[in-house]
Amino acid sequence: MVASPTGSGWSPTAGARFFCTAGRGLEPFLMREVRARLAATQVEYISGKVFFTTCSDLNMLKKLKSAERLFLLIKKQFPLNVSSVSKGNIFNEMQRLVNDGPESWLNAISVWKNLLELDAKKDKLCQRDANPLKRKVGENDVTNLKKLKTEQMQELQESRECQPEKQMEEERVEQGDFLMNREKSQEAFQNEVVKAADDPSQKDLTFRVSCRCSGAIAKTFTAQEVGRVIGIALMKQFGWKADLRNPNLEIFIHLNDIYSVVGIPVFRVPLASRAYIKTAGLRSTIAWAMASLAEIKAGAFVFDPMCGLGTILLEAAKEWPDVYYVGADVSDSQLLGAYDNLKAAGLQDKIELLKVSVTELPLPSESVDVIISDIPFGKKFKLGKDIKSILQEMERVLHVGGTIVLLLNNDHHRRLQDCEQSGIPSNSKGSPTDEPGIEKCLSPREKTDLSDTVSSSSKASSQGGLDKMPRVGSLAPVECYQVSLGRTEAFICKYRKSHSLGLEQACCCEPGSSPVGQLHSSEGGCTGPS
Amino acid sequence: MKPLPHNLPSPHVRGVGPRGFPLRLQATEVRINPVEFNPDFVARMIPKVEWAALLEAADTLHLVEVPKGPIEGYEHDEKFLRQMHHVLLEVDVLEGTLQCPESGRLFPISRGIPNMLLSDEETET
Repeated sequence: MVASPTGSGWSPTAGARFFCTAGRGLEPFLMREVRARLAATQVEYISGKVFFTTCSDLNMLKKLKSAERLFLLIKKQFPLNVSSVSKGNIFNEMQRLVNDGPESWLNAISVWKNLLELDAKKDKLCQRDANPLKRKVGENDVTNLKKLKTEQMQELQESRECQPEKQMEEERVEQGDFLMNREKSQEAFQNEVVKAADDPSQKDLTFRVSCRCSGAIAKTFTAQEVGRVIGIALMKQFGWKADLRNPNLEIFIHLNDIYSVVGIPVFRVPLASRAYIKTAGLRSTIAWAMASLAEIKAGAFVFDPMCGLGTILLEAAKEWPDVYYVGADVSDSQLLGAYDNLKAAGLQDKIELLKVSVTELPLPSESVDVIISDIPFGKKFKLGKDIKSILQEMERVLHVGGTIVLLLNNDHHRRLQDCEQSGIPSNSKGSPTDEPGIEKCLSPREKTDLSDTVSSSSKASSQGGLDKMPRVGSLAPVECYQVSLGRTEAFICKYRKSHSLGLEQACCCEPGSSPVGQLHSSEGGCTGPS
Repeated sequence: MKPLPHNLPSPHVRGVGPRGFPLRLQATEVRINPVEFNPDFVARMIPKVEWAALLEAADTLHLVEVPKGPIEGYEHDEKFLRQMHHVLLEVDVLEGTLQCPESGRLFPISRGIPNMLLSDEETET
């Protein structure tokens, strides 16, 4: 058994390899983010996961905003060969995940231990539990195998089993589970792990295997069976004990037609679940992604005219604090919820709330720098006015050069395309631009080759989508991304205001010329007698 | 609601030409919150301030030590910036009204949130 030499361990400059799960459509955002935030290298996107190398510590890793969960990579290799008739052969292949190159397992655990220790050192000044709860190490029984079978069966029934790629079905935002509680439990957990992993024989290390199977392998095996095989192999190889309730080490395995990936979740709680958001409306990863597109600069005026519970503004304000944020909604209950959220996040001084209608904004023309909004859809929302008139009012209040980033559903998207074709009445059925238009938006598909690096500049590949993204008055389309909201799809669409209203002919204002048109006004003042 | 006049709501009725004067603020309940002083942020807000409206609001709220206008080199004048920081960011109107000077229409401010719905058809879902 190879153990890392005591005292040396992992060098912070070398970096460690991680991967994140991401909601479908958010991968380009995540790749951008790991490069920018973590100076990540060797960034790859493969079928719903983003792999990367970084030297960052837990504090920085914790800040990732467009990822679902973060894992330390143990192994990534070609998919298991399921063409063999004999199940036994395939079981052998699974065991090889553990037995071939066990150093990769131990290295990953050692890296994880080092990350936790580094984090603990930094936390020394903070309050800490003096005596982390000592949990009983799992059953030291010879008949462990039998217990393992029954317990894993129970356990896996609760957790996610054989499912098609449903990256979005991670834990829901924990209500009322605030910063203090979560940090405390994470710390206690980390202490336990460091203790157990420190022991060179690692006999005290307890583990649990979480398995996800999709594609061909899911047709032959249940996640349970796979978990069992791996679990037994781990016990044999390393002498660890299984603990299904509160293990030190959680092993995550994902087997599909494209790869076999094994990793250790770095945090107990998914990154997508934010400590600072009390009640989430829109999924926080998507909210952050939208804000990241909006070109928010210090001192800007950022407005969400249909803010609901304020999720977008919260994500933006956390990332870009020196900005003036205003949220508006027509619903009292939503505004109250938003206010609660602001208070819980400590952002009530940064974000202003108004009760206004997006179709009649009490704001002067060209007074807003950035608009970000999730256009409500679904049966719950009665959208009195159609999407076009909403956009027109947003266009009016926006500065020339300002950006709008919207989350639209299929209907909105289609309706915009229809309206653009002059002479054709608004009719979603007859539009020839229907399906192709949606497909042309940047929509990541299953990549068939193992190593497929999507270029960091997504603008090039989204050009194809622009001809299907219509202009709306002076709003020129910039980018469009198709994203998954779980059961439905939506589009993140970015526009830029290219010129003032009333100057439709010109691309931009001639310097010195006086603005034409009744709607354009840069100075306040009554027209009538004052 | 903070009386930040560069965007003090003004009712805009589409197609009727430039907006009117900003709304008149009346407050029945005001709260002063300490907010961390960020000179860069305040300096960026200064060019957007409508001074006439700001001074009127400051008067209504009985605020003292409000600068009458931007001064030369305000970006580096800490005293000026701190005064502006106070009036722009630390004063919160919890209850009151905003009144349109042209139509006389009143918009209530309740629990810090102004209700500016212009049409009666918009109701809460």
